[in-house]
Parts: sequence; structure tokens; C-alpha cells
Amino acid sequence: MVERIVYYAGCFANYYDPQIGKALIEVMRQNGIEALIPEQKCCGMPMMANGNVKGAAKNFNYNVKLLSRAASPGYDIITTCPSGNLMFRKEGLAFFDSEEARFVSGHIYDAGEYLLRLHHQGRLDTNFREIPLKVFYHNPCHLKVQNITKEPVALLKLIPGLVVSKVNTNCCGMGGSYGMKAVNYDLSVQIAQKVWEDVKAAEVDRIVTECGGCKLQLEAGTGINAVHPIVLLNEAYRSS
Amino acid sequence: MAEIPSILVLEPAAEQSQRRTAGIMVKKGPQLDLESLKAHLREIRQHSRDNHISLLEELKRNLDQYAGVKLAIATDAKQAASYIKQTAEGTDLASINKSSVVINELRPELQASGFKTYIRYFTEFKNFEKFEKKVEDYWALPGMHERGLVESFDVRKTVTRLRSSEVRDFVAILGVNAVSAEDGSVFFLQHMTNISKDLEQAKKIILVVSLEKVVKDRGAALFQTRCMGIFGLESILLDLGPKEVEQYDFDSLPTLSGDQGRELHILILDNGRKGLLKDGYKDLFLCLDCRACARQCPIGLHLLANKGMVYSPKNYLLGFLQGWLPPAEACVHCGRCQVECPVEIDIPTLLWKGQFEYYARHGRGLRKRLLDNPELLAKLGSWTAPLANWAKDRVIFKLIMQVVAGIHRQARLPTFHRQTLRKWAKGGRRG
Repeated sequence: MVERIVYYAGCFANYYDPQIGKALIEVMRQNGIEALIPEQKCCGMPMMANGNVKGAAKNFNYNVKLLSRAASPGYDIITTCPSGNLMFRKEGLAFFDSEEARFVSGHIYDAGEYLLRLHHQGRLDTNFREIPLKVFYHNPCHLKVQNITKEPVALLKLIPGLVVSKVNTNCCGMGGSYGMKAVNYDLSVQIAQKVWEDVKAAEVDRIVTECGGCKLQLEAGTGINAVHPIVLLNEAYRSS
Repeated sequence: MAEIPSILVLEPAAEQSQRRTAGIMVKKGPQLDLESLKAHLREIRQHSRDNHISLLEELKRNLDQYAGVKLAIATDAKQAASYIKQTAEGTDLASINKSSVVINELRPELQASGFKTYIRYFTEFKNFEKFEKKVEDYWALPGMHERGLVESFDVRKTVTRLRSSEVRDFVAILGVNAVSAEDGSVFFLQHMTNISKDLEQAKKIILVVSLEKVVKDRGAALFQTRCMGIFGLESILLDLGPKEVEQYDFDSLPTLSGDQGRELHILILDNGRKGLLKDGYKDLFLCLDCRACARQCPIGLHLLANKGMVYSPKNYLLGFLQGWLPPAEACVHCGRCQVECPVEIDIPTLLWKGQFEYYARHGRGLRKRLLDNPELLAKLGSWTAPLANWAKDRVIFKLIMQVVAGIHRQARLPTFHRQTLRKWAKGGRRG
């Protein structure tokens, strides 16, 4: 029997950086796992942030219905989006509770969290090629608050040659579209300043972070390319 | 002299702390079981939340035994300020402590009624370097809350009578850390010597008790005050910069002859709290105001701390719910305020709730409505890529976005892809 997971991509991996989703599918395939991608919409958190509670409820309910149906044979739900993960695990549940929402909340995992679990079970293919890179890992707030901080770093350290020279758990001030808004822009930049300085001081080749918003913020202030850890893992598989 | 309830002032215990620190260094001294500590604190706070009406009644009954204390209950800050004004009998000089209820809720009303308010420990910053050294010795910032320092906060002073030869003509308005319903004893955590001096010197002493600060007994009050130190000292200390404008040398005031006219008042302040209990914000009652949440909040330091407010995400929400702050829109919704809360208040969810209720009552502006479906904008961008990518970097487009949608012209916008992941997964899977 083929092992399967249900993949919730989120808006960033779908519209702005499809490479993340493709990498997830390929990393899973490398480990003998098929990724199913059911129909899905924005998780609803950006709508909540703009006060569109009805729209958020509609999207959330749509998603939990389809995700729970797809995962009903006993599959785990995996996401590469920290905010989507938090939305389904906790934030949305507080306002749009349902049996399906509780099911999704109990079955959704961050991709890094899931892959490290595979590794601890001795099931992760660790036949990675060497990637001689020095990276700065930025832990997005929406993972930090779920206590997912060590897992991504532990995964990255499995890649030979890759050095995680600095781990940052401070907020970068972006918060989805929060930092893009004129009303918040200056505050967002002030918050980011510390992280930007840390990145520059670390003299790294790349930034690694799971969150699309953090990626934009960190690239904007440092000029250094930021990638999702799953993209690096996939890169490490490709030539192995 | 009429009897008053005991007023107990806690301080970090220097010698003990130093011994403990040495112990940790040498033999990894006894570590605090942080989880047991939090569980006990939650139990105390839940009891206060769930029994606030009976606790208040018990406190009133017990305070009646003390002829030397006058009890007042104010429904809002205006009423509280009016009571204090009446009590002050012509004095407009007030020493206040940095309790959030006094600074955030009472101070604006006190100032509006003509009081000059000062936080007296700012004068103690004359010797700031020495203070900094004390901080390092006692608490070894940051991260003291993870160390076994619970016993380092001890009762250093107990006041049981109002007699003093140091009385000066000013009012001390002090927000308390806890009050025991069982015997009326009052507890403070003191940063430096400000509370002790106010208790010794002020002609009129007003102890301000926000409703949630009433706890079941003396043991609970002592424990809660210690927890204020354990979980809150870092945030409190990090918020203590010497501020010229707030300095006043109360020590240089002439002493009054005898202690005639000294009064002790206990002022219970509701200020909308009972309403919040009914409106689904009852967990705010669990808060001991330790401000551990502030340590995690990315916006606090930049946004409000320098505007005279005792900032914490919880206080930000409370201020909005009480009506003295605009809607809590500066919240970035990072969720970090829950991470260190010792009583596990789900502040992120309560912040969402507060905002939703506000929008339901007042509606949303055009810009919010324009941005309220980001996926639709993403779809439009994908359908029109690469044109959308070309356009998003043009100055004229950026200006239009700023004026119409409120997106800052310097904001970095993401790049759209004509072939989205889902299209790729459904179809050709090229590239």
C-alpha cells in the first residue's frame, strides 16, 4: 500500500513560490510517500487580519471539509505554510469550530516537523548530497508559537556541508501583509532592523525560512536570497 | 492609633540571591519546578476569577475590622480620581507607582483633575550604574525566570501602623500586587525603595486594588506577589528608563509635625472589568500583570512603551476594551504573547475577538475591504503575469497602490507565477 499525505500548500506556495510545493511533493516521493493535493483556498488568516470574518469562515470551512475528507483514510495533513498550520491547528478553531475543523487541527503537521518525525522513526532517506552553504535560519513567529523551532534546524543539519551559522527566533515585523501597509510600514522596518543586522553580521550565503512574508522582509533588508527548508532538502536529494 | 491591615513589601533578597547564584555555579543548586509553580499560580488566579464577587464581599467584611482604613469602591477611573481628589484635601502632589492600573487607567484622570503625578523611583536613578549592577547581581538578565530564584523574593518590610516622623504633604497612589480577602493584608513587590518611602512619608495613602487583585488568603497573595517577580521582573526592569519629566524629589519636601491627618484608603476599582467577564474576556481576570507577554511582543517596544503607557499585549487589549485606546490594530498577530504567559491566557484569540467585535460594530474602511480577499488579488496577479510583475515594480503602480489600497510604495511585493502550484499539479507538471 502506497503511503500518502494530504498537502495544504497555502497561498504563497501556490501563487508566489510554487517551487516550495514542487519540492515538498518531490521530497515526499523520495521517501516513498505520495502527496495528494485536494482543492483548497486561502486559509482565511489574512482575511481575519483585515476584519473579513465571514470570508475567513467561508474559506476555513471549505478547507477543513475538503482536507478532512481527503485525509479520512488516515493520512496526515502536511503544510509548508506556518500561518496556515497555525490557522488550522488553533487560531481558526477558536472562531469556526466544527468536527471537521477539530479533525484537521489534530492531523496537520508542519513539513519539517513531519519529516523529522520520519527521521526519528528511521524512515527518512538521508542520502543527501553535499551542499556547501552557510545559512541563517529565521524561525517564523507562527512556528515559534507552536514550539516548532528545533525541528527545522535539526533537518537542515542532516544535509552534509550545510552550516546553520545562526538561528533567529525574533519577529521580523512582516506579519503577512501587515508590514506592507503604509500605516504599519515604518514600525515593521524598525522591528526588522535587528534581524537584518543579525543576518548581515552572520555573512551567510542564504537565509532559510518557512514563511513567505518573512522571506520578502528578509530579502528586502539584506539582499540575500531566502528559501524554504524543503527546497534545500530537495536540492540535496536531487543529485544524490 | 487605629489599626490597619498589614502591608507587606517584597524585595529581591540580595544575600540569598547571591548565595543561590554561587550555588548554581558550583553545584547546580536546587532548580525551580517551573511547571508546578505555574500550576499553583493558575489555581490562585482561577479562584480569583471565578469567585471575585464573594472575595470582594469577604474583603469588605474583613477590612471593616480595621478602624484605620477607609474602603471605597469606584466603578470607573473618573470616579476613582474624584474620590482621590476629595481625599487629598487640597494637595495636588501625587507619588504613583508603576502599576498598570495606576499609570494606564488612573493617571490620565488624575492629571485631568489637577494632580501632578510622579514616579518617585526615577529619582533613585541618580546612581544608575549602581542600580544596573544590582540588576545584574540579582537577576542576571535575561532569563532569570528560568532559574531557581523563587525564594529570592522575600518580605522585607511589614507596615502595621501609620505612625511616622517622616510625613510630608503629598498623596501616594499605589497599585497593589495582591490583597488577601481573608484578612485584608496587602502585598507589594518593590523595585527599589519607592513603595517603602511612600508608606513612610505620604500624608494620604491610597492603595488601588483592581478587582482581579483580590485573592483568597495571605498565602495566595504572597505567592502571587513572588510570581510577579519571577515572571515579570525582566519586563518591568527593561521598561525602567530614567525619565526626567517624571522625576520629583519627595525626600526634599518639609516634614510635617507629627502624623496628624495621616490616612490609609483602599480603593477598589472595577473600570469595566465585570463587564468583560460577561463578554467572553473572563480570562483577562487571570492576569497578574507580570508583563511576561510584553517580553515577546515585537510591537510593544516600538509602539507604546515610550508614550507613557505600561505596555503589554494584555494591557493593549484591555485599554481598547475599556475605551482608552483605539482599536488594537497595531497587533501583528504573531501570537507570541501567549508563549511565556504563566497563566496561559490565550491573548492572541482575545485580540482577534476584540477586533472582530469592533469591525462588527463600526464597519471596515475601504482599504481593509480592498485587501480583505488576498487570494483574489493573487489570482488576478497570476492570470496577468508577467504583466502584473512588470507593473508591480513601476513607480506609478506603487503610488496608486499606496493611495488606493494603502500598500506602502516601498513595500516589497511578491512575484506572481502564471503557472500556480495547483495548475502544475493538475496538469502537465512541466518545470
